[in-house]
Amino acid sequence: MITTAILVFVALLALFCLLWLAKAHASTSEALQNPAEHIHAVDVEAFRNLVDPEEEEFLRTNLRPAEFRRIQRERLRAAVEYVSCAAQNAAILLRLADAGRRSPDPATAEAAQKLVDNALRLRLYALHAIPRLYLGMILPGSRISSVGVAERYEQMTRQVVLLGCLQYPTRGVSAAL
Amino acid sequence: MIFAYTLGYYLWIAPKVLLVILLWGMVRRGLHRQFPMFFVYGALQVLQSAILIAISRSHLGFGDEYHRMFSVTVAVSSAARFCVIQELFNRFFRDYPVLVGPGKVLLRGATIALLLAAVGLATIAPGESANFLLRATYVLDRTVSVLQCGLLISLFLFSRYFALSWRSHAFGIALGLGIFASVELAVSAVALHLGTFSNRTVILITMATYHCCVLIWMFYLLLPERTAYFTRRELPKQDLEVWNQELQRLLQR
Repeated sequence: MITTAILVFVALLALFCLLWLAKAHASTSEALQNPAEHIHAVDVEAFRNLVDPEEEEFLRTNLRPAEFRRIQRERLRAAVEYVSCAAQNAAILLRLADAGRRSPDPATAEAAQKLVDNALRLRLYALHAIPRLYLGMILPGSRISSVGVAERYEQMTRQVVLLGCLQYPTRGVSAAL
Repeated sequence: MIFAYTLGYYLWIAPKVLLVILLWGMVRRGLHRQFPMFFVYGALQVLQSAILIAISRSHLGFGDEYHRMFSVTVAVSSAARFCVIQELFNRFFRDYPVLVGPGKVLLRGATIALLLAAVGLATIAPGESANFLLRATYVLDRTVSVLQCGLLISLFLFSRYFALSWRSHAFGIALGLGIFASVELAVSAVALHLGTFSNRTVILITMATYHCCVLIWMFYLLLPERTAYFTRRELPKQDLEVWNQELQRLLQR
């Protein structure tokens, strides 16, 4: 009886989970009607500075251990915010570029495809980088390199510019943003 | 009594009639080439129901022969649904080559974890009925439902994390299958607990759910696919200026 009750509960939970995910899928499309409201500014340089090993080494040698750990935790917390923002932007840009892939213009379609690929790689990288940054917060002494995220982000933004140029040749490069 | 009898026959026959219309619509739109496994699954469902109806209307009625055939159709349908899920995964990742590797890892990982959970469940709670056929049928159904439900939720979660856009057709098929698998999970657990093939409420819930799923498939497969046009929209200027400066600085390095 208990097993049956648990299974019925799990099944109902799965059903609601599916319906919620399906609804969320529809609402994501709605959010894209006005993507500018959802795209947050991400300062790549600031992020690079936060995860710079030389900067970390400098802090390690010039600060007392307890203070270094506190500051390093703060820095990594900020880095997580940056990665999350970049990943969120990537998600929106991905959806924007997805429609561009179906463009009749081959150059636009190609640029959109590259942007989709890079945005996906960034999301994938963020999936790995965020737990590592959190691990670094737990163990502030361990060495973490997430510079790849910044590089990927830069690469992606360059492709957004290219896509913007192709889609809005008269309006300026960042119309796609 | 007459109402329940009529409702039962309606829920048995109507979804299959709708499935025939759906299959015809798929052929007309060329969707049977895009989703061959789903097309085969639909055709099998119609064929299996025709056989079951024929048996029930013959001198055999709803006896042992009918239940044996019913068990066979449950097994065949379960296998076909797995093929449809595989087809959905393949089609989904084909649109995003970057995700083929992580997608395979997800599919394998989720399958192994769910299979372990389902087999564990079958071992812990094998059902109390003395009827072997009933136990085998519903334990199989429950195991398959756990796997299918879990795989579809994994696929939805994966696509949500990566903000991937589903083509309407695949989304509709996955949604219908997911709803059916989750309800089937509850129904098979209850059927095993009751120890009978012929509990009217259980049967009606299954058939009503299937009817809804067929309507979902019809909605997504027969209506024109939605196309996103948001790339053409203009965005607020203040963001554009900030981004423009930042991007220009980055590109000049």
